[in-house]
Amino acid sequence: MPRDGASSGPTVRAGGLWQVFGANATVALPDEVALGGSSADIAGRLLEKGLNPAVRGVSFDVAPGELFVIMGLSGSGKSTLVRCISRLVEPTAGSVEIEGEDILAASKARMTELRRSRMGMVFQHFGLFPHMTVLDNVAFPLKVGGMARRARHEKVMPIIEMVGLDGRERAYPRELSGGQRQRVGIARSLAGDCTVWFLDEPFSALDPLIRRQLQDEFLEIRTRLNTTIVFITHDIAEALKLADRIAIMRDGEIVQIGTPTEIVLRPVDGYVSQFSRDVARGRHAKVGSIMRTEGEMGECGGPGLRADMTLETALASCMSLYDPVPVLDDDGAVIGMVHPADLASSLQVEES
Amino acid sequence: MIPGRSPAVPAALAALLAGALCLTLESVAPWLARFPANWTLPATDWAGTFLEWLLLGLKPAARWFSWLLGYPMLWANAALGQTPWPLMIGTATAIGWYLGGLPMAALGLGGLGFVLLSGYWVESMNTLALVAVSVPLALAVGGVIGVAANEFPRIKSSVQAALDVMQTVPTFAYLTPLLLLFGFGPVVGMIASAIYAAPPMARNVILGLERVDPEVREAAVMSGGTRIQQLLLVEIPSAARQIMVGVNQCLMAALSMVIIAAVIGGFNDIGWEVLLTMRKAQFGLALMAGLVIVVFAIVIDRMSAALAHERRRGDPRVAYGIVALSVLVVLVFQARLPDPSTLTFLDPAAERVDRALGEFTANNGEALNQFRNGAMFYVLLPLRIGLDEAALPFTWGFQWTATMSAGLFAAAAVAGACLALSGRAVSGLLLVIGSGIIETGIANLPWPFVLVATFSLAWVASGRRLAILCVALLATVLVSGLWERALLSLYLSGAAVFACAVVGGAIGLLCAVAPSIWRVVRLVCDMLQTIPLFVFLIPVLMFFQIGEFSAFLAICAYAIVPMIRYTRHGLVMTPPELLEAAVASGATPWQIMRDVRAPYAAPTVLLGLNQTILYAFAMLVIAALIGTTGLGQSIYLALGSADVGLGVSAGAAMAILALICDRLVQAFAEGRRTALGL
Amino acid sequence: MKLFLTGAAAVALAAGNVPEGAQAAELGAVDEPIRLAINEWTGQHVSTHVGGSMLEAAGYRVEYVTAGYMNMYQAIADGEIHAALEIWSSNVSDDYGRKLEAGGVVELGDLELEAREGIAYPSHVAEICPGLPAWEALADCASRFATAETLPMGRLVDYPADWGTPGADRMTGLALPFRAVPAGSEGALIAELRASTERESPLLIVFWQPHWAMSAYDVRFVDLPVGEDACFEDPAWGPNPDAVNDCDFAPSRIFKAAWSGMREKWPAAFEILSNYTLSVEDQQPMMGAVDVDGGSVEEVVASWMAANGDKWRPVVDAALN
Repeated sequence: MPRDGASSGPTVRAGGLWQVFGANATVALPDEVALGGSSADIAGRLLEKGLNPAVRGVSFDVAPGELFVIMGLSGSGKSTLVRCISRLVEPTAGSVEIEGEDILAASKARMTELRRSRMGMVFQHFGLFPHMTVLDNVAFPLKVGGMARRARHEKVMPIIEMVGLDGRERAYPRELSGGQRQRVGIARSLAGDCTVWFLDEPFSALDPLIRRQLQDEFLEIRTRLNTTIVFITHDIAEALKLADRIAIMRDGEIVQIGTPTEIVLRPVDGYVSQFSRDVARGRHAKVGSIMRTEGEMGECGGPGLRADMTLETALASCMSLYDPVPVLDDDGAVIGMVHPADLASSLQVEES
Repeated sequence: MIPGRSPAVPAALAALLAGALCLTLESVAPWLARFPANWTLPATDWAGTFLEWLLLGLKPAARWFSWLLGYPMLWANAALGQTPWPLMIGTATAIGWYLGGLPMAALGLGGLGFVLLSGYWVESMNTLALVAVSVPLALAVGGVIGVAANEFPRIKSSVQAALDVMQTVPTFAYLTPLLLLFGFGPVVGMIASAIYAAPPMARNVILGLERVDPEVREAAVMSGGTRIQQLLLVEIPSAARQIMVGVNQCLMAALSMVIIAAVIGGFNDIGWEVLLTMRKAQFGLALMAGLVIVVFAIVIDRMSAALAHERRRGDPRVAYGIVALSVLVVLVFQARLPDPSTLTFLDPAAERVDRALGEFTANNGEALNQFRNGAMFYVLLPLRIGLDEAALPFTWGFQWTATMSAGLFAAAAVAGACLALSGRAVSGLLLVIGSGIIETGIANLPWPFVLVATFSLAWVASGRRLAILCVALLATVLVSGLWERALLSLYLSGAAVFACAVVGGAIGLLCAVAPSIWRVVRLVCDMLQTIPLFVFLIPVLMFFQIGEFSAFLAICAYAIVPMIRYTRHGLVMTPPELLEAAVASGATPWQIMRDVRAPYAAPTVLLGLNQTILYAFAMLVIAALIGTTGLGQSIYLALGSADVGLGVSAGAAMAILALICDRLVQAFAEGRRTALGL
Repeated sequence: MKLFLTGAAAVALAAGNVPEGAQAAELGAVDEPIRLAINEWTGQHVSTHVGGSMLEAAGYRVEYVTAGYMNMYQAIADGEIHAALEIWSSNVSDDYGRKLEAGGVVELGDLELEAREGIAYPSHVAEICPGLPAWEALADCASRFATAETLPMGRLVDYPADWGTPGADRMTGLALPFRAVPAGSEGALIAELRASTERESPLLIVFWQPHWAMSAYDVRFVDLPVGEDACFEDPAWGPNPDAVNDCDFAPSRIFKAAWSGMREKWPAAFEILSNYTLSVEDQQPMMGAVDVDGGSVEEVVASWMAANGDKWRPVVDAALN
């Protein structure tokens, strides 16, 4: 595939990724792939052989700086997928490129090097080392990278401050609450100045209040960093709240990739729409998605809708209006029209 | 350990001060170095008199019990002895098939086939009969103790202590009283093995019942069950898995005690064969007889494990078929079946092993001697009697002088001070104390120092209660006049434990890294744990002759096993997420081992060390057959002269040493576990 | 309790065969088996089986019961074992004395097996220490026997500690520069002999005969001044004027012992065992046939009994007549 330099290409690119568990999977998979058929057909034949295809021919790109969420129910293969991309498990087939480098071809030493310098990862159950203090946990990637004690402690202190744990750096993981522990996990994954940041259901093990708090802080941290993020979750609300783009996984395959609005308003099938059914669309879909740009444009003025307003906000502004309302850009120019009827109908929850 | 927060620094300082005081005042107050003989109490005699009085009182009841046990023994013997061997092999194969399919069936067939070919069939069946009666006895006793401890939580701690005593007092120490009580014969061996085998059962029952889910327990209560119903219908079945672990351990312990039963005799069993061949230094035959016990142990272990893990069962029709086939074989070939005691298929192999041993000894005599001398001169002797006595012109090439002692202490002090300044005060103090011990030798340690050091250690490990307990126990050894022998035992087992910790730890590490090595090592471990250790005394003696080094090696051969197992287990059991986190952080395998796996495995490794210590003490008694001084020898002297008092006192002293070490290490392990939040 | 029976079929004597003499001891309870102790060494197995076969010839049933040599006296006093036919005076448990005193055990007289104990060495050691077997030679070549534990003294492997310390006593008595190292067991002594022979290394050991290892490893005794009673009491006696024990071992006595109830229960058997004797010349070949040629004790003894009727038949007859 031709590409014009790592900088403009995707930061993460997965192509035809398979992860099959079981004896002789590396032999069986190419045989079945050679027989042809869709990835579901191949997976069916593998299952008959007693093998377990957890990830089935998955491909996607993640653009630089993008927050890419992989969403799926438990057992859908999302955790295995992120482990394939970070090469914590060895994919059975396919390719993974990070900033244009094929990491599946990388040597062990190169992989270690990449993990120290480019990748960071946060785990669902935190993966904190119980015998190390917060400081040592966070500084661990630097320690194994050979940085001197004093230097690495100096380097990680700002990160610990950023996640709000300053003052607790001498504590041991067992002395922290769940939320604090995951802050340590986040800080540790950031210690190495990563360019790709993997988060494997980082907030799933936390209770709802703490989860929301950490989500907000995560978004806050994200604005300060310029990393590309692959975020795994089973929570559609979390996905919609955080994501630039979402990939929905089912049975090891990606069913749909799209922006939150696309997922909510244009689900490709019943499976995806089931997720979005209970979601208050008004809160996630933007005015731009129902705006008409052809036909007669109205005058400037009215309630002053913007394309990036959520439908809910727009509706609040148009409560008493029956005529089409203009949508303005930043300069106040009209870029399209919205009919309040469209607004109302798009908020209607489909009955299945 | 974090300086400032722990009492380790003052404790180490106290021990150091006590040691230094004793060393300097030694010349003025000789009673500091050696506990004066006239301060001791004739506790041994008292114990003897009291016990004999007690035993006399208990004798009628014991004899009745012994008579009662004679019957199941007779039946088991008749059943196993009269059954034709094809039927026995067929039954074992069938059970194997039912429990675990083809592999288990092959194990049953191969195992008993080996026993048959070895020519020890009759003896083996006698042994099996002994086990068949002593194991149910041990299971019943252990089960009752366990349930009782669960029902009456107030007695739980005393029950635990009693179980510890049952497992740490060497069996040889109470053989004489048992003989007096129960009379001569296999019943004594059976009771001895039941005493040893009951504690694992009791412990697992307690553990299993403790771990029953509270909700399950409450559901049973709310269903209106009586206490007995709750226990029998709900709690015990819920704890079944843990209890099966107890059954398995109980079986193994009973088998390992088989040899002890043979020392008393009265029973033509496989243990007696081992003793006879051992007496003639016939390694090949002794090994073969020992392997018969190993085979039994492995067959029983694997099959009871298969029973515990409810896997898919084999087709019972096939099992019946196998039994029917063997019955058919018996009926058809009845007259032509060879008498199993005339089979000698394996004798040539045994002879070859024996010859190989002889040739190896002959060819490597000089190398073996040098190896032993090196170990003796530079490690064991200094450890026992100290550098000041061990460094002589004909060992080290020069005479150790007072100046050298001063130099050693000065160097240690400087190094200790450097460590203390760099923030590791405890390590510094320990270094100085260590140099003092090396200079003096363990056998010559002043008794006040030992008491203070033990107190400090126990204080740091757990607190005041343990410290007082340890010192009180040590004091009883001190006044009973067994102190010097106890120190000798401490030295020998200490040296062995240290070697086991280093070598066993390294092997465990290797096994954790390379599963292929573990497959081999695991077999060796299984063998070392179940083969009667008498068997290994022969080659050790042939290579290194009578003496401490041989005893040291024999102890190591046995005590190294738990160290290997636990180290590997601890390292392998690191939670996968920790490993992933480490990999994702860019740690190399070696860095993961050092910074993540090893610290995480520390509590498990400490438990392994604890087992190694207990094993080393247990083996001291058997190593005494090589010719060592110390408590082990006292126990034999007592056994030979039927001296109840000495036997029990020396056994108790041994148990005290083992218990103190056990409590200390357990406390440290517990501290580590809490630190890791486990 | 399974006791291993060997040829237990009682040889019922026809009534006409028993002469009705006035001194005839009663047979007693012929229906109940007499239990004989089988200890840990082959010589004892041979002696016991010969005695047992004599009892069977007299019409008794015999059971052989394995029993630890050191621990069997309680069983004998309790009447669970009825006799032990080879007890060495040099190495007898203190328990024996106590049971004898208490009356549970009675002595049955000498087996008359001529035993010898002494300081010994495998024959190749004579080359290492020329001058052997004279004991004086040991003083000069002590350093050849030195090992790590005993330096600078020579090493003497003594009996296991529970058998006493005769070797150490000799070395002190004769002022020889040897330190006695107690072996832990008989197996340890044999392993020492075997290793020394295989490696042709120096070895000085306390040993005894009859023992199969004496010929198997060509063991010789050191010539020491003959042991008399005075040697053990009077320091002035012997080469060392300042010490006792400066001489060879006092000759060992090998005797038999029985349960005190035996005389009443089986009078004739008691008589037979009391008069039963066995010589080294008879015992040693049988031991060889078992330990070296691999025969079973039962077969070897049976063929000896058949060929040497003149040696044992009179004892049985005397008791029955």
